[in-house]
Amino acid sequence: MTAVEGAARPATTPTPAASVVEVQNLVKTFDNGRVRALDDVTFSVPEGQLCVIIGLSGSGKSTLLRHLNGLHEPTSGSVTVLDRRVDQLKGSELRSLRTDVGFVFQQFNIVGRLSCLENVLSGALGRLRGPRMGVLSYPKSLRQEALTQLERVGLGDRAFQRTDTLSGGQQQRVAIARTLMQKPKIVLADEPVASLDPEISGQVMDVLFQACVEDQITVLCSLHQVDLAMGWASRLIGLQDGKIVLDSPVDDGLSQERVMEVYQRLDPEGRKISEYATSVVDLT
Amino acid sequence: MTSTVETQGLIEAKVAAEVLSPGAGQDVTPPMTRRRGVLTGIGFVFVVACLYSMWDIGVNPLTFWSERQDIFNLLDRMWVPRIEEPRLVWEAAIDTFLMAFAGTALGIFLAIPVAFLSANNVTTNRFVRGTARAFIVVTRALPELILALIFVRVYSIGVLPGVLALGLHSIGMLGKLFSDSIEQIDPGPREGVVSSGAGRFQEITTGILPQVIPSFIAISLYRLDINFRASTLLGLVGAGGIGLQIRAHQGSLDYEQLLGVTLVIIVLIAIVEIVSSKVRAVILGHDRSSPKGKGLAGSSRLLHRAKAADFAPDPKAPAAVVFDRDRLVPPWSRDRIIMWTFSSVCLLMLVLAFTIPDMSFLELVRGLPEIPQTFDRLIPRNMDWWQSRWGDLLIETVQMGFAATGLSLIFAIPTALLAARNVAPAQWVYNASRAFILGVRALPDLIVAVIFVAALGLGPQPGVLALAIGLYGFSTKLFADSIEEIKEGPRDGVRSTGATGIQETVTSVLPQAMPALVGHSLYVLDVSLRASTVLGIVGAGGIGFPLVQGTRLFQFDLVGGLLICIFVLVYAIELLSTWVRKQVI
Repeated sequence: MTAVEGAARPATTPTPAASVVEVQNLVKTFDNGRVRALDDVTFSVPEGQLCVIIGLSGSGKSTLLRHLNGLHEPTSGSVTVLDRRVDQLKGSELRSLRTDVGFVFQQFNIVGRLSCLENVLSGALGRLRGPRMGVLSYPKSLRQEALTQLERVGLGDRAFQRTDTLSGGQQQRVAIARTLMQKPKIVLADEPVASLDPEISGQVMDVLFQACVEDQITVLCSLHQVDLAMGWASRLIGLQDGKIVLDSPVDDGLSQERVMEVYQRLDPEGRKISEYATSVVDLT
Repeated sequence: MTSTVETQGLIEAKVAAEVLSPGAGQDVTPPMTRRRGVLTGIGFVFVVACLYSMWDIGVNPLTFWSERQDIFNLLDRMWVPRIEEPRLVWEAAIDTFLMAFAGTALGIFLAIPVAFLSANNVTTNRFVRGTARAFIVVTRALPELILALIFVRVYSIGVLPGVLALGLHSIGMLGKLFSDSIEQIDPGPREGVVSSGAGRFQEITTGILPQVIPSFIAISLYRLDINFRASTLLGLVGAGGIGLQIRAHQGSLDYEQLLGVTLVIIVLIAIVEIVSSKVRAVILGHDRSSPKGKGLAGSSRLLHRAKAADFAPDPKAPAAVVFDRDRLVPPWSRDRIIMWTFSSVCLLMLVLAFTIPDMSFLELVRGLPEIPQTFDRLIPRNMDWWQSRWGDLLIETVQMGFAATGLSLIFAIPTALLAARNVAPAQWVYNASRAFILGVRALPDLIVAVIFVAALGLGPQPGVLALAIGLYGFSTKLFADSIEEIKEGPRDGVRSTGATGIQETVTSVLPQAMPALVGHSLYVLDVSLRASTVLGIVGAGGIGFPLVQGTRLFQFDLVGGLLICIFVLVYAIELLSTWVRKQVI
C-alpha cells in the first residue's frame, strides 16, 4: 500500500494556506521527567514554507524535529503532520508517513560502506516491498531515478564510489539525494551543516533549499548559523530550554538583536552569562 | 538545559576541590570506596585461588625446569620424528581442514539468526531474546570434544560427527560476537533508512547488514582458525581427521611418529592462521583504520569504543569510477572482485567438504532423528550416576583451571611487553617475541598434554603444564595487542617529566592497558576452565576422564549429569567474569 501512495502522489499544489504540520502543547521529558526537553510547544507550518528553527545546543531543536516523523513519542500534547496524528501512528501507517516526510541528519546517517547510488536507492525502500541488497536488487527505472537525484546534488559521477570515501559535504549531499529520492512532501533537516566548514555549509544549504523549492517541498530546518538561516528562511522559530521564544517571518521587521536574544545563555540562577563573567573569574 | 547542568557541575567541582585539598598533616591516602574495596577483594581472591591451586596440584614456574629430565627423556625417545605413510597423513590433513570449514559454515548458518534474535536493538521481545541468549550460553559451555563424543555414538567414527560438533559449539562464540557487533552498530544509518519509511526487513538488510558484514567475516575467519585447531584434536575421540593418527600412535607408543604428526599439525595450524589473517586484511582493506576492521574476539571490543566520527575527506579517496550510465550496473571494482572471489572460494570449499571426506549428506539426514533421542537419554532421571569422587574431580578441574591461568599469566605479562611494538626495547626483540608467540600458539594443548602425560605419568600435573603452555601463547598475544592499542599522548606526558623507560611503562602504559588486561585475564580463566574439563580425555586429570569412560560404556545418564555439572561451573565463572569486567571498565 505504501508503494501506491508514494508513487501516485499528485503533482498539483493544494491551497497554499493549508498547514501541513500542527504541533500542539507538545511536552517531552527524558529520564523519568528529570530533563524537560520540550516545554509546551505549539506552532503550525503552512505548505511550502521554508521554516528555520534556531537555538543553542540542547534547546530542543532535534527533539522537536524527531517528533515530526515519529522517531520520538511525545510525553504529552499532539503532533499532526499531513493530517495524520504522528503520536498515534504505528507500524505500516507510521512507515507510510515517513515516506512522505524526508529527514536530513546532522551526522548524515548514510551507510558508509555502500556505494552512493545504493544509499540514494535506499530512499525508495518505502515504495518497495521486501529487503534489498546490492544496487542490482533495485529495478532499473529506480536506478535511473537515483542517478538523476545524485546529479541534482552534483555527484552524478560518483554513483559507484563508496560513500565513506567522500568528503563531509559530499556525504551530506548524498543524504540529501536519498531524501529527495523519497519524493517527500516535507523535509525535516536537523542541523544539516553543523559538522561542515562555513564554505561547504553554504553550498550544501543551497543544494538542499534549491531542490526543495523546485519540488515545492515544505522545509523545517534547525540551524546554528543565523546568517545562513536569514538567507534562506521565510520564517524563523527560536527555541530556548524547550520553549518557543521567537516566532517571526523573516522580513525587515526582524532585527539581528531580536534573533541573537535566542542565543543568550543563562546560569542556574537565571542571570545572563555575559553579565556574570567577571564573578566567575573571582572564584578561581 | 545541558549548559546549566554543566555550569552547576563546574561550580560544585570547585567547591569540592577546596574541601578535599590536603592541608598540613592531613591524611592523603585514597578513600576506600565500595568499588575500590570490591576490586581489591576480587584481585586478592583471584591471586590466592591461583597460588593455592598451583601449590595443591604441585606445579610452579620452576616445574618445567625440575621435570626437565623426564621431558628430555621422552623427547629423546621421540627423536627422530618420522612419518611412515605421508599420503595417509596428507589425506587426513585435508579431511581435517574441510571438516573445520564445514563445521564453521554450519555454525555461521545457525548463528546468524540466533544473533539477530539475541541483539537488544533488533529483538524487542524479552522472552525471545532470553531464549536466544540461553541457547548461545548452552552451546558455548558444551565442549566440542564432548559433543563429538556424543555424535560419534550416533554416526560412528568419521568426519560427520566432527562437523556437527564444531558447528553446534561454534554457535556459542559466533552468536555472541555477531550479536555484539549488531548491538554496536552506528544507529545513525539505520535511523536514516527508517526515516525514509523502510519496513522491518528492509531496515535490517539496508541499515544493519552492510555495517556488520565486515565484522561478521572477520569473526568467522577467526572462528575458522579456532575450529581448525580444534579439529586436529577431534580425532582423539574418533571424530575423524588427523587426530585419529595421534590417537593411533599414542596407543601403540610409537613416539617417533607421534612427534612427526604433531609437527605436521603445528605447521598446518601456523599456515591456516597466517592465511586467514591475510585474507582478513585483504577483505577488510578499507576498514583497516576503523574499529570494526580489527574487531576480533573480545579483545579489541573492550578498547575500540566508537571513535569520534571524522568527516575529513579521505586524502587517498579514489578517483570517480567510470560506469555505464544506461545500464547502471556496478563496475568491477577491486572491492567487488575481491568479494566475489572470496564468496566463490568459500562455496567451492563447501562443495569439496561434502565430496572429498567420507561424509554423505544422506547419512547426515538419516541420523538426524536419532539426535534428539540421544540428547534425551543424556538427561539424568535420577541421581544414581552421582558418586562422591565426581565432586573431588570437579574441584580438581577448577583447581587445574586456576593453576594453569596463574602459571601462564606469570610468564605472559613480561613477554607481552616485549611483544608490543610500542613498548619493545628494540625491533628485533619485538620480531623475536612475536615469532616465539606464534610458534607456541600453534601447539594444540591436548597434544602437548598427550606428550606430558607420556613423560610425567597420569594426573593433573601434566595437564596443568600443557594447558599453561597453550594459554601462555594465547594470553600473550591478547595482552600485546591491547598494549599496542594505547594512546601515545600520556606516554609523552610522562616522558617529558624526565621519567625513565621503565617508569614510563609502569605509569603511562600499564594503567591505560589495565582494563583490557584484567578483561583478558578473566577471559583466559574462562578458556582455561573450559579446557581443563576435557584434559581428562588424554588422562591429564579432572572431570574429563569419567566423561570419556561414560560415553565408551554407554552410561548416558552419567555423561549427562557430568555435563550439567560442567555447564553450571563454566556458566558461573562466566557470570562472575562478566560482572568483574563491568566493575573494572
